[in-house]
Amino acid sequence: MSAVSGFGKALVVITGASKGFGRVLALSIAPRLAAGSALILAARSDDKLQELKADLSRGESGLTARCVAADLGCQAGVERVITEIRDIDPDIDHLLLFNNAASLGDVSRYCHDFTDVDEVNSYLSLNVSSALCLTAGVLRMFPQRTGLTRVIVNVSSLCALQPFPSWVLYCSGKAARDMMFRVLAEEEPDLRVLNYAPGPLDTDMQLQARSSSADVALRNSFSVMHAQGQLLTCDQSINKLIKVLLEDKYPSGAHLDFYDL
Amino acid sequence: MEDEISREPRHLGRALCIITGASKGFGRTLAFQLSCLLKPRSVLMLVARTTEQLNQLKEDIITLYGGQNQLDVCCVQADLEKKEGVEKTVQAAKETSVSEMDHLLLINNAASLGDVSRFALTFTDPVEVNRYLSLNISGALSLTAGVLQAFPRHLGLRRSVVNISSLCALKPFPSWVLYCIGKAARDMMFRVLAEEEPDVRVLSYAPGESLDTDMQLQARRSSGDLQLRRSFSSMF
Repeated sequence: MSAVSGFGKALVVITGASKGFGRVLALSIAPRLAAGSALILAARSDDKLQELKADLSRGESGLTARCVAADLGCQAGVERVITEIRDIDPDIDHLLLFNNAASLGDVSRYCHDFTDVDEVNSYLSLNVSSALCLTAGVLRMFPQRTGLTRVIVNVSSLCALQPFPSWVLYCSGKAARDMMFRVLAEEEPDLRVLNYAPGPLDTDMQLQARSSSADVALRNSFSVMHAQGQLLTCDQSINKLIKVLLEDKYPSGAHLDFYDL
Repeated sequence: MEDEISREPRHLGRALCIITGASKGFGRTLAFQLSCLLKPRSVLMLVARTTEQLNQLKEDIITLYGGQNQLDVCCVQADLEKKEGVEKTVQAAKETSVSEMDHLLLINNAASLGDVSRFALTFTDPVEVNRYLSLNISGALSLTAGVLQAFPRHLGLRRSVVNISSLCALKPFPSWVLYCIGKAARDMMFRVLAEEEPDVRVLSYAPGESLDTDMQLQARRSSGDLQLRRSFSSMF
């Protein structure tokens, strides 16, 4: 497999792999991996992960898919994913970590409603801390060496750059993550770090956005997008992402949006 | 009200003014400077973890301004990393009574640098990262929420919320991952607040990197990144 059309022998880790963007990502990237590659799929739902694994096994052979049922909102969950990659054959060309797992938070409430520190902490634990700790853990397990390209993708959002009413947790989390990965890119020049904003996707998260957002204007604009078929399929967005990753020309630490490409 | 303000020297009204991280550094200096801008019978609420430093600050302020200004200085010992600390502060705010209060001014100044001797790849422990975010992000959001709920919008009441920000909210600095994350999140948080509450005056203020404070001392002594350490030291 040429360097341009695939990632060679790779270790790919995808969090939030059980549905939506993460699931399609797993299915889309599998054909781009050479025999002997490993695909680590992490999410809370073991059932859905097993279904995904079954779907993957219908495709490429020579690919090992491992399911890790883990709640990244807690320390044990992060550790379980790290443990899973410990015995992977280190003779790989590419390491790709897709920090995709995320939650919208309660978008039916406004800033002034978040009076409980514990609730905010719980949100940040999944959406911010786990991304940092998982990334740190994975990179320490596969340190820099010649012949190994290490790629870290943060599934970002327009919300990392722009504030939206009734979305304080999601916007703050995405802003925090973008900065986190920008610092990482500054510190580790050999890493390829990308903050990728996938565009408005037709997923369960979108459904939650258009049914629960307290802000009427936001809810309406999502509903209109949905009704008029303006939501993107995960495939559309992932095709662009994979193209960008294979071309490998983006500045490390950059924020790229589907609509920029 | 508008005419009054344009004729008289600038002031911050008859206020409840809350400053977190008030015991030293920027918060402490703010307390002094704001004291002379608050109209008589205002309440200045100073929040920090250390009682002795707060009490000392209160004494110093009253000595300088208290008498003539009829300024009520109230100290609240609270750790804003914790739920109890935030709740205690909100409760204390609720219990103040400023008759004919026309301004609520909350200054979210309390913060920590985090361990700047280390790089992002060393932060493998979610418990450590969560603790940091609890003070620097969650505490600020929950305190602001609690205070705004305690003093809801009403005619004649100006409500202002300040976020003490940093260049680090906008630009990444090596070995400063936690601080940059916290500041970036806070800036966004307060931008969302500003979108949601058009009547609340929201300001994220970056005070400049050469403040002569304990935080600066920690920055120039401990930063893991050599270049950063050098550039901080050269400021002094």
